[in-house]
Amino acid sequence: MIWKIAKKEFLLNLMTFKFAVGTILCVVLMAVFMPILAKDYEERLKTYNGNVARNKAELRKVKVYKNIIPTIYRPPSMLSAFSEGLEKRVGNSATIELDKVPEISAAAARGNPYLSIFSVFDASLIFKIVISVLAMLVAYDAVSGEREHGTLRLILANRTARHQVLLGKLLAGLMVLVVPITIAFIMGLVILLSFPMVDLAGSDWIRIGLMYLASLIFISAMYNIGLLFSCLARRSAISLVLGLFVWIVFVVVIPNGSVYLSAQILPPETAEKIEGQVASIREAMSSEISRGQPPRTGDWSESDTGDAFGNYYVKRCNKAFMEDNQKRYSFRTPLEIKYADKFWEVENSYLSSLFGQKQLADNLSRLSPICLYDNAMSMLAGTNIASFQSFIKGVKTHRNRIIDYIRSKTDNFSATSFFTTYTKEEMEQSPKNTADPPSLDLSDLPRFIDKADIVEILRGVIPDLALLVFGNVLFFAMAFAAFVRYDVR
Amino acid sequence: MIRPIICKELLENLLSIRFILSMLLIISLFSVSGFLFVGKYGQQSDDYWRKTNRNLAGLREQSDRLYQLAFYKQEVYSKPKPLTLCVEGFEKSLPNCLRFDVFTSDLPEVKSQSSFILPQFSDIDWVFIISLVLSFVVLVFTYDCICGEKETGTLRLMLAGSIPRYKVLIAKYFGVTFTVGIPLLVGLLVNLIIVVSSKDVVLDGEIWLKVFAIVVLSFLYLSIFVLLGMFVSSRTAHSANSMVVLLLVWVALVILIPSLGRIISDLSARAPTAEELERKLAEVGDQVSNDERSGKFGERAGYMSTNPNDPRNNPPARARLKTAGANAKNAALEGHHNKTLAQAFAGRDITSISPTVIYQRASEAVAGTGINHCVNLHEETKQYQASLKEYIRSKDLEDPNSLHLIFPEEGCAQYWQTISHRPVDFDTVPKFQERDLALGQSLKLAIWDIGLLMLFNLVFFAAAFVSFLRYDVR
Repeated sequence: MIWKIAKKEFLLNLMTFKFAVGTILCVVLMAVFMPILAKDYEERLKTYNGNVARNKAELRKVKVYKNIIPTIYRPPSMLSAFSEGLEKRVGNSATIELDKVPEISAAAARGNPYLSIFSVFDASLIFKIVISVLAMLVAYDAVSGEREHGTLRLILANRTARHQVLLGKLLAGLMVLVVPITIAFIMGLVILLSFPMVDLAGSDWIRIGLMYLASLIFISAMYNIGLLFSCLARRSAISLVLGLFVWIVFVVVIPNGSVYLSAQILPPETAEKIEGQVASIREAMSSEISRGQPPRTGDWSESDTGDAFGNYYVKRCNKAFMEDNQKRYSFRTPLEIKYADKFWEVENSYLSSLFGQKQLADNLSRLSPICLYDNAMSMLAGTNIASFQSFIKGVKTHRNRIIDYIRSKTDNFSATSFFTTYTKEEMEQSPKNTADPPSLDLSDLPRFIDKADIVEILRGVIPDLALLVFGNVLFFAMAFAAFVRYDVR
Repeated sequence: MIRPIICKELLENLLSIRFILSMLLIISLFSVSGFLFVGKYGQQSDDYWRKTNRNLAGLREQSDRLYQLAFYKQEVYSKPKPLTLCVEGFEKSLPNCLRFDVFTSDLPEVKSQSSFILPQFSDIDWVFIISLVLSFVVLVFTYDCICGEKETGTLRLMLAGSIPRYKVLIAKYFGVTFTVGIPLLVGLLVNLIIVVSSKDVVLDGEIWLKVFAIVVLSFLYLSIFVLLGMFVSSRTAHSANSMVVLLLVWVALVILIPSLGRIISDLSARAPTAEELERKLAEVGDQVSNDERSGKFGERAGYMSTNPNDPRNNPPARARLKTAGANAKNAALEGHHNKTLAQAFAGRDITSISPTVIYQRASEAVAGTGINHCVNLHEETKQYQASLKEYIRSKDLEDPNSLHLIFPEEGCAQYWQTISHRPVDFDTVPKFQERDLALGQSLKLAIWDIGLLMLFNLVFFAAAFVSFLRYDVR
């Protein structure tokens, strides 16, 4: 009986104007937006490749070990066309320096700050807004509309149980809404794959599958909300109005309200406090350096520009300078590395306060199915804060490996090759050549490997999906409770 | 005949559930907006004055030697404006701090309290409530104004009389406008009462005029949606179909098209990245060094000894070298800054097919907030830099001991006395003060957008008129 009702509802809805307009709009929007988003991804990938190549070329020019300061770039996420998340708001590169620990930073600090006037735009906007409105429109007259037409009392005049009717309507609604979602997804994928730079691996396909599943669960939650209002109102116009107002609350009020509230409840540390802490650590560092550092005695006679990464190295110097600097660097560099950790602690406490704020905002916004869906999609696309955090963790590990490498090659920063290309033998012979010294052989420098962990992502997305499923069950149960007491005359 | 129809529409709407729900939603949103604004404005003002006074105190310390005034890096912040109540214009994520001295200025920076990790939330200002929520509410009122009456059978009864169709249309338009105007005006009143009764915010005559201008703009914007609703309603025979079309058009116009702005600006007018700027600055620096080596600025322009009587010093040549370097760097930074602004404006221009974007832009222009505020601040600091430089030059001429060479190298000014070392009276030193644009100028900036909004109104009115004339009322 459930299947019969579902089939009848499905065919009825398929033939309506609203379904046709909604599906055509979804298709048109996907067809228009996806090429733009894919082109933008291509541009960002090109920029990334250019940056990586430039970095490699600079590394080949390095002449002294202290100038090994490569920048590690984070590749743009391939699925960011589906959910942009924080891709454009958080910095996507980190520089490896001896005296600074790399951390997450704002992209706006290095990009165009005026682009903050625009809001985030990705393909999941189509699902969040257009298809959820379509779900409301399909659901609002499911029960109250049938009551107005007089057909509801005819169905229930038979031996059909009320739960069979409602389950049939649920099934029908889901079948109807699967059509535009599937068409939109397939179209989006086809357009994305038609771009040559896009290359999806096995884990990417799993993620896309999960995105599809998340979209289905989300849309069915919105359908259940519409069904609930349909069972509460006697006239379909009222159920539509109620449903739309609740939709506005979910789309507009809850996301903005949760961000605002979290900013009020957990304000981040002020810039002045952080600057004060940084200044005091810097003072401590300079006093410790000046206490232990040997005085400068030697003199350099010639230094040249033009090493890698815009830094300098000493080309020629005298014996006193060489020995003096060897002592200097072997004392100073480990100290700088130690203080880098102290500076990082200050930055880390600031970032922790920001993460705490974000966590609170996320928790508050979990009242809205749209926010749950957003979180799940951005996690699956690899554009949420967790993905940036794992990138930075990888960069930090890489930095430690590079520091160990330099330490081993320069005998704990005391070798002359740390700061000059001039060797002791050359100093004794004192040749008059001014040719450029050769670059260092860095073939055994550790390489940065970035691996995205699919299991972590899956584990992260389960709470949001579970909450969406719970929302589904809750709304349907409420609709059922209302329908059982519904006056069908 | 128009008046009875207007009264009938008004009374019918006043007793409906959608009016009650709209009233509740709009009044609560406006009161929340008022409380939030009052809460943060006081604190923002305090912050601003504290930082400005700190800057002035620093400047005062420099006035015991004229040359120090030239090299002191002043920090100027954008003043919080009361009109951010009406339209905030994303100011909390836009650059609000400019550091400069007389010769160079850095790129504007964002120094704010908001976190870059949190999703950007639009502050609940009037423009947000009106452009998003009220336009939606308007559609909920107008979707069945014609086809709904056809379904209930009252439309043919009304037109069976001798009333011309255009009068019916005009009467319905005014009916819906008054219906929506009631919660809007009540909400605005509640909001203004909350703001005026707080001690932190002071609204003067000019601000009230601008508020009135923004209210007029809001009515223009909302009437576009009234006419759109009436147009779609008079094209369909079933109110359900009209609702569907209107909802989807609303989603496209109000949510989707404005969001396209970022991507379109990236594709059409992408500004150079920070790395590219660094490369350009390095290139420009190399160019100046090459010129110096080739002797373009004079002999020994690169030589600088702290002993002013060293015969190898060549102050005029060094002045030329350093001025050229500073000018080249300034030009590169200015070019970069202009390109970043151009990208933002391009994105906005291309998406201004949506009335929402036009309304936002017009309100920001009238209120002087948002990205226009940043542009104005930048212009005013440039003018201030020029006036301070002129002041230093004129004071320097009075000192016979100085070499009268005003160029950006503090070491030379200190050791060679290229700029006077005499103290100056701090009261005569020009100080930076941000000025608001006059109402006339603000309106001039917004004139195109006001014209566009009126054009939208005319187009939708004509469309509704033609559709209703041919409407089958049986």
